[in-house]
Amino acid sequence: MKNEEEERVVMEEDDHQKASDLVHELVLRLLSQNPRTPNPDPTSPTFLKTLRFAHRILRSRLTPSVSPDASAIAESLKRRLATQGKSSDALAFADLYAKFASKTGPGSVNNKWSLLYLLRIVSEDNKLDSSLLLPNLNAAVSSSLGNKKTNGVLLVSKDPENLRDVAFREYANLIKEENEVTEEVLVRDVLYACQGIDGKYVKFNSEIDGYAVVDYINTPRATRTMVRTLSELGWLFKKVKSFISESMDEDVGTVGQAFCAALQDELSDYYKLLAVLEAQGMNPIPLVSESAGGSSSYLSLRRLSVWFAEPKVKMRLMAVLVDKCRVLRGGAMAGAIHLHAQHGDPLVHDFMMSLLRCVCSPLFEMVRSWVLEGELEDSFGEFFVVSHPVKVDLLWREGYNLHHGMLPSFISPSLAQRILRTGKSINFLRVCCDDHGWADAASEAAAASGTTTRRGGIGYGETDALEHLVAEAAKRIDKRLLDVLYERYKFKEHCLAIKRYLLLGQGDFVQYLMDIVGPKLSEPANNISSFELAGFLEAAVRASNAQYDDRDVLDRLKVKMMPHGSGDRGWDVFSLEYEARAPLDTVFTESVLSKYLRVFNFLWRLKRVEHALIGIWKTMKPNCITSNSFAKLQSSVKLQLLSALRRCQVLWNEMNHFVTNFQYYIMFEVLEVSWCNFAKEMEAAKDLDDLLAAHEKYLNSIVGKSLLGEESQTIRKSLFVLFELILRFRSHADRLYEGIYELQIRTKEPGRERNKTQDSSSSWISEGRKAITQRAGEFLQSMSQDMDSIAKEYTTSLDAFLSLLPLQQSVDLKFLFFRLDFTEFYSRLHSKGRES
Amino acid sequence: MPREIITLQVGQCGNQIGMEFWKQLCLEHGISKDGILEDFATQGGDRKDVFFYQADDQHYIPRALLIDLEPRVINGIQNGDYRNLYNHENIFVADHGGGAGNNWASGYHQGKGVEEEIMDMIDREADGSDSLEGFVLCHSIAGGTGSGMGSYLLETLNDRYSKKLVQTYSVFPNQMETSDVVVQPYNSLLTLKRLTLNADCVVVLDNTALTRIAVERLHLTNPTFAQTNSLVSTVMSASTTTLRYPGYMNNDLVGLLASLIPTPRCHFLMTGYTPLTVERQANVIRKTTVLDVMRRLLQPKNVMVSSYARNKEASQAKYISILNIIQGEVDPTQVHESLQRIRERKLVNFIEWGPASIQVALSKKSPYVQTAHRVSGLMLASHTSIRHLFSKCLSQYDKLRKKQAFLDNYRKFPMFDNDLSEFDEARDIIESLVDEYKACESPDYIKWGMEDPEQLVTGEGNASGVVDPRMAF
Repeated sequence: MKNEEEERVVMEEDDHQKASDLVHELVLRLLSQNPRTPNPDPTSPTFLKTLRFAHRILRSRLTPSVSPDASAIAESLKRRLATQGKSSDALAFADLYAKFASKTGPGSVNNKWSLLYLLRIVSEDNKLDSSLLLPNLNAAVSSSLGNKKTNGVLLVSKDPENLRDVAFREYANLIKEENEVTEEVLVRDVLYACQGIDGKYVKFNSEIDGYAVVDYINTPRATRTMVRTLSELGWLFKKVKSFISESMDEDVGTVGQAFCAALQDELSDYYKLLAVLEAQGMNPIPLVSESAGGSSSYLSLRRLSVWFAEPKVKMRLMAVLVDKCRVLRGGAMAGAIHLHAQHGDPLVHDFMMSLLRCVCSPLFEMVRSWVLEGELEDSFGEFFVVSHPVKVDLLWREGYNLHHGMLPSFISPSLAQRILRTGKSINFLRVCCDDHGWADAASEAAAASGTTTRRGGIGYGETDALEHLVAEAAKRIDKRLLDVLYERYKFKEHCLAIKRYLLLGQGDFVQYLMDIVGPKLSEPANNISSFELAGFLEAAVRASNAQYDDRDVLDRLKVKMMPHGSGDRGWDVFSLEYEARAPLDTVFTESVLSKYLRVFNFLWRLKRVEHALIGIWKTMKPNCITSNSFAKLQSSVKLQLLSALRRCQVLWNEMNHFVTNFQYYIMFEVLEVSWCNFAKEMEAAKDLDDLLAAHEKYLNSIVGKSLLGEESQTIRKSLFVLFELILRFRSHADRLYEGIYELQIRTKEPGRERNKTQDSSSSWISEGRKAITQRAGEFLQSMSQDMDSIAKEYTTSLDAFLSLLPLQQSVDLKFLFFRLDFTEFYSRLHSKGRES
Repeated sequence: MPREIITLQVGQCGNQIGMEFWKQLCLEHGISKDGILEDFATQGGDRKDVFFYQADDQHYIPRALLIDLEPRVINGIQNGDYRNLYNHENIFVADHGGGAGNNWASGYHQGKGVEEEIMDMIDREADGSDSLEGFVLCHSIAGGTGSGMGSYLLETLNDRYSKKLVQTYSVFPNQMETSDVVVQPYNSLLTLKRLTLNADCVVVLDNTALTRIAVERLHLTNPTFAQTNSLVSTVMSASTTTLRYPGYMNNDLVGLLASLIPTPRCHFLMTGYTPLTVERQANVIRKTTVLDVMRRLLQPKNVMVSSYARNKEASQAKYISILNIIQGEVDPTQVHESLQRIRERKLVNFIEWGPASIQVALSKKSPYVQTAHRVSGLMLASHTSIRHLFSKCLSQYDKLRKKQAFLDNYRKFPMFDNDLSEFDEARDIIESLVDEYKACESPDYIKWGMEDPEQLVTGEGNASGVVDPRMAF
């Protein structure tokens, strides 16, 4: 028994020696076949290394994934040789295989198929002739040889339990041999690195900008890569950390601070994790065999990578955010962060949500206090509403605006506008209207929207709640604002007052003013004192129904003398103005009032022309003309007189038709219609902006339709030419009638005489009459000529005006043409003129 | 400066329609029968001082002179509900109280007799106004006092207040029934002369048409004077609304009349009103639109002057001017639409010798008077067909004159003691007025009367000279 045993040992040793020799030889052969190493030196380190590698592969427990069918492999080898045209080799192989297969008993090969497999691999690999594959070839060869060795493939099958242990031990030794540091050390170093601290072997390498295992340590590349990958977390951490500490020193605003705080929170979670991991890292890494029994809480690099998966995602996000936010502040920062929140990964999504909730809380607090209290608590300039120091009357229009850069993208522009307006309304109420009732409205709004007025009511993500709050607040505050404007400041009443006085709606007042101011206004502008005019205004107010108007309204009505040059008459500079006091000066700004002023001047001019025409009618009114027979006039003169009168009347009729219809147009198509629309829009207005827009529209429509717009300059000029002509006509008509009345008196007096003393004085009467007749004839003739030239000029100018009308853009001007040409008098005239 | 208007009510008819007019004004301005402002009348916006003056803060007195030669009507007023409204100093009743006996000449002559007394009253009233705009005379042209004395007053006013407007509301007699005043054609003719020469504007109130309207439109079988008078007061008050409720335009009588009367002699206006109701008559009328109102106003059946024109002539008749005064809640945009419709359908014929158009004035309605309709409208128009009314007067006069009937009554008075040339002169004037209206229908009105010196104004040119060739068009 013992002998047998010894014998077997000897035999085995012998076998061993033989096998290693064989491997040695095989490696040498294969290497020599390799063109890169034609003459391998069996003592060179490369050779030794290759040899060692071959041994290692042979000892490995890897099994090829082929079925262990020796004959099949042999067959395929044979066939391949045959197909390659080496039929003799194939026959030789078949012969050899038959011998090999038949050999049984001691000393023969037990595992015949593996040998054949090896041969096949070698043959295939030979063809490839690849230097890279060389180590593999070596290994393959050695593995086939290993079947005779104690520790090899064969061994495992012999004694699985024991052999596995041995294999692991050997593997561990192998690892130890290759690595200068243990995995435990590396794990610890990685953990350090992840806190931004250099470890013993894992250090920050500024060249590659990251943590890595120091070069002088001999570690496999896989480990290096792994460490590098794991320690990315450290790099990210360092970035985040440095951002936080930088932010501490700087003014980053409340949003920035909130962001840092949120990051800090996240980091402290991370610290906790690291602490746990560090504790685990103290445990040694067990071998595979130990895993069943020993503690599982140890850390390997692989485990670490599992642990780090989640923190790394977060940290990476944080780093990205930190990068993005470095230069941003406030709303812009929140907006930038928000852009990353739209993520499908629930982990990321949740993380971003909680982060944003923190980041946005100061922002939402600003919105809340702005919307409900009108306070702009923004010492760092982070809010998307910016205030500007302006005068009170400009508060609404220019006092606040949106800073689009600070508007986070999760607040829509329209919502932002509403937010802006609501706070603006509160400030407007507080500053301009001196109103305190808004606070009730605000608290009502807060109650209605479900949030109390305390801080932090709304958070990120509750956009609906925010919108609701803003909507409620806006609704109430704006209503309050409009109520205050309408009721306390009587907006509508003032608009009406402006319509009555500046737009000449109060006819009796305007008429009286025209009556008393008119003569004065014909004087040079320098001679007129505005003090005197103010007196006239006061008188006109007292004499007309304006006296019953609100005192507040009347106090605001003032005379304004416009800047005048040397040649100007009073007519050119006289104007009325309406003083707009806070808060209505927000609506009636200077530019608005100057528009009103222009409209007033235009209407006043129109009224003056109308007044002139009425004045003419008064002098030629029926019972002044018809009651005088002019019976004593020579018939030729009478005819002249009649002709002059008729011309004057007809021309007057034409002018009056024009002016009256122009006035009707102004009244119906311009003033009343615009007012109607304005009143409707005023009713519908929900906030001050609506109201301002409505008023703007109202005024612009009046300006546009009254031909005062930029685009109607030409037609306006031609209109003013007509006005001038009418005023000139007035002085002519006055002179004509003055002459006629004189004639009347002269012919009447002797006429009456005649009845009584018919015979005695007939001679001197006839003589006197002759002279009178001659003078009258001359006078009438010159008047007729003047009248003709005016009529001609008027026809030309009116023609020009009418031809310009259809070219205007405004539709309403077609109404004017319609009115002026109601009986198609001008169209007929025009077509007649073209025919001839 | 309210541009006051002084009302002179002369004669039986004048005082009756005047009384109705003041009743209506009192209602509209919220003034009680005693002239006291009612407590509810605080809405303002109206001008009471055009027609009233204030005795004290609450007390309003009409600027009215009540003149008659017989006491019956005025006594009625003085004993009626409104006895405290008028200023008693403004009431003139002839001492003898015998009236004018339906004789124009008697009325005219008596007018001359009491000129001083009446002019004193007028002067006092005029002095009490800041800026007197003019006078309104209410009278009938057929009787004795309103026509004769009214004529005298017209001449006097024209002379004394030549710068002031003189408007009359002249009631023309009912031609359809035989009048108890047989000399009506004489009286009418003589009054028409003064209306042509001495008035600035005559609002013709044709009793024929008023009766017809009362029968046809209001379905009254036998309309009383009170009922036709209430039509008159409606017209009178409506035609003064723009003066009493100031707006952008037409705030004074001059402005109102100037556009209506471009030709000095053709200053006779006819009126139309819709929808019509008689006082205390429950007449439910559908809600009306501006277009409805404006279209109805152009219908002859709503016009308060009867047209005696034959068909051919009627088709040639033309409007010289139209002013529609629309009262009530009106959307101004409707005005334009209505005008467009009217033009499209060619509902109205205008003169061709000059531009013309329908003028529309919007006026407030009194807040104190409840009416059954939302919108109502008054038309004031100068229309050439009115000449047929004058022609009718002329033909009736001619018939009577041919028979030389009743002329003795006139010869008793100084104006006619020498000859009856006054009648002839009046006839010529009315005839030339008719001619001028006719000329207005032609596009060549401008040249009318230029060719033939005999057609001139008074038609009595004693000229021998040749027509200046330069003046021949």
